[in-house]
Amino acid sequence: MRWSVLGWRLASFAVAAGIIALWQLAANQRLISPVFLPGPDRAWASLMRGFTSGDLLTKLMGTLTHMAYGWLLASIAGVALGAMIGSSKAMRIYVAPTLELLRPLPVSAIIPVAIAALGLSQGMALFVIAFGSLWPMLLGTVHGFAAVEPRLYEVARVLHMSRLAVIFKIALPSAAPDILAGMRLSLTVALILAVVCEMLAGLDGLGQWVLLSARSFRSADLFAGVMLLGVIGYVTALAMGAAESRLLRWQAARR
Amino acid sequence: MAEPALALVQSSPSPARAQIAFDNVALMLGGKAIINTISLDVAAGEILCVVGASGCGKTTALRLAAGLYQPTGGSVRFEGEAMRAPRREIAVVFQDYGKALLPWRTAAGNISLALETIGMPSAQREARITELLAKVGLAGHAAKYPTEMSGGMQQRLQIARCLAQDPKVLLMDEPFGALDAMTRQGLQDEMLALVASTGATVVFVTHDLEEAIYLGDRVIGLLPHPGRVGLELKIDLPRPRDQLATREHPEFLRLRRALFDFIKASE
Repeated sequence: MRWSVLGWRLASFAVAAGIIALWQLAANQRLISPVFLPGPDRAWASLMRGFTSGDLLTKLMGTLTHMAYGWLLASIAGVALGAMIGSSKAMRIYVAPTLELLRPLPVSAIIPVAIAALGLSQGMALFVIAFGSLWPMLLGTVHGFAAVEPRLYEVARVLHMSRLAVIFKIALPSAAPDILAGMRLSLTVALILAVVCEMLAGLDGLGQWVLLSARSFRSADLFAGVMLLGVIGYVTALAMGAAESRLLRWQAARR
Repeated sequence: MAEPALALVQSSPSPARAQIAFDNVALMLGGKAIINTISLDVAAGEILCVVGASGCGKTTALRLAAGLYQPTGGSVRFEGEAMRAPRREIAVVFQDYGKALLPWRTAAGNISLALETIGMPSAQREARITELLAKVGLAGHAAKYPTEMSGGMQQRLQIARCLAQDPKVLLMDEPFGALDAMTRQGLQDEMLALVASTGATVVFVTHDLEEAIYLGDRVIGLLPHPGRVGLELKIDLPRPRDQLATREHPEFLRLRRALFDFIKASE
């Protein structure tokens, strides 16, 4: 069993290595002009140079900060609002149409509004990222709270549990799978919006780095930035997955 | 066929002795009379079994006793006080153990829920959990999640959680209905032993007539549409009960016949 797992792992690395090799080959053969497509060697060198002598680390931290603040704000607001809406049927009926109206709104359409109201500022980025990544968590929490097994509420009544205890000991853990799934989706949205905001507002971050590199035909720098964004997405998703399987150990027991 | 069993029997209320008293209790749900009317006393320490055809309001009567429903007529009293809401002295064992347990908490965690709620300091909880698990035969399963346990074990766990409340009354809603025959018989005997050691009052709803006679000091038969008391049998079988001897006892067979006739006639 362990050997087959190892085999698959190796095979997946081989695929990635193969793609990089093809990329190198295409660049070496100059199938696309090096102005537009650097080879992985040049992109890597640019990445290293960016970290050692350039300000790539500052840009990386900038993007991570934007992403993290927006996502955390959305998480807190999404879970709190979702818990409020999800635990009361009346609230669901009153608020549902408004939510349905706001939810499909493309966040890109909100950005000009946010810029007009808040300027080209960090606050604007925070608002846009939080607004965009709010929805998966909000809807996940609403659904999770609405789907709590009614029998458990009766158990809580028989035990005379306080309202707060019911929320923290029954509703939240029961909704945790939905909430965590929402948080995972939101992570991607937060990264996308962080990059977009940095591009539009010229905030310190990889979005700005990528845009400026492209405009000045520094393709190696451009690719270094894109690769770094890919790594951010991959690592955050990995961390989220680890947190999820730790928090939802009881679900693994079910299978 | 004569139907003496269908003669309406109402136990005369004697509020002084009764731990749980139903006084002309009626319940309307959505304009439909579910129960109309039940008068009934349950003495402290008694094991009362409730049987009846499906739809006769057995479970509803139990929920009224638990304070999960409020009667629309008459009153339900516990130790002389009107039941306005569930009380901690009254524990409820639900039939669907799979839904009544918290799947994200281990066996120990599920019992801890009750202990946390009654405000037991965390230092004392672990010893009490170990004790309760041992009491229901789940020693060594503290770290298991409910989904890793068999149906019988899950129902044992729910009973342990109810015992953690230190209840004066155990209300059990077809607790063994979903279990196989062997497991059910084992749990019947374990439950009788547990109840004998705690002295708790038990109201036990079941559709298994033999189970009702085997467990009870008294069996109440309900009639449907609307639910009301149709039969009351005093069970004078020696205790401790025994799965073979008790079930072969001539009195057991007589009671069984009476109960089957009643159910048949009520359908």
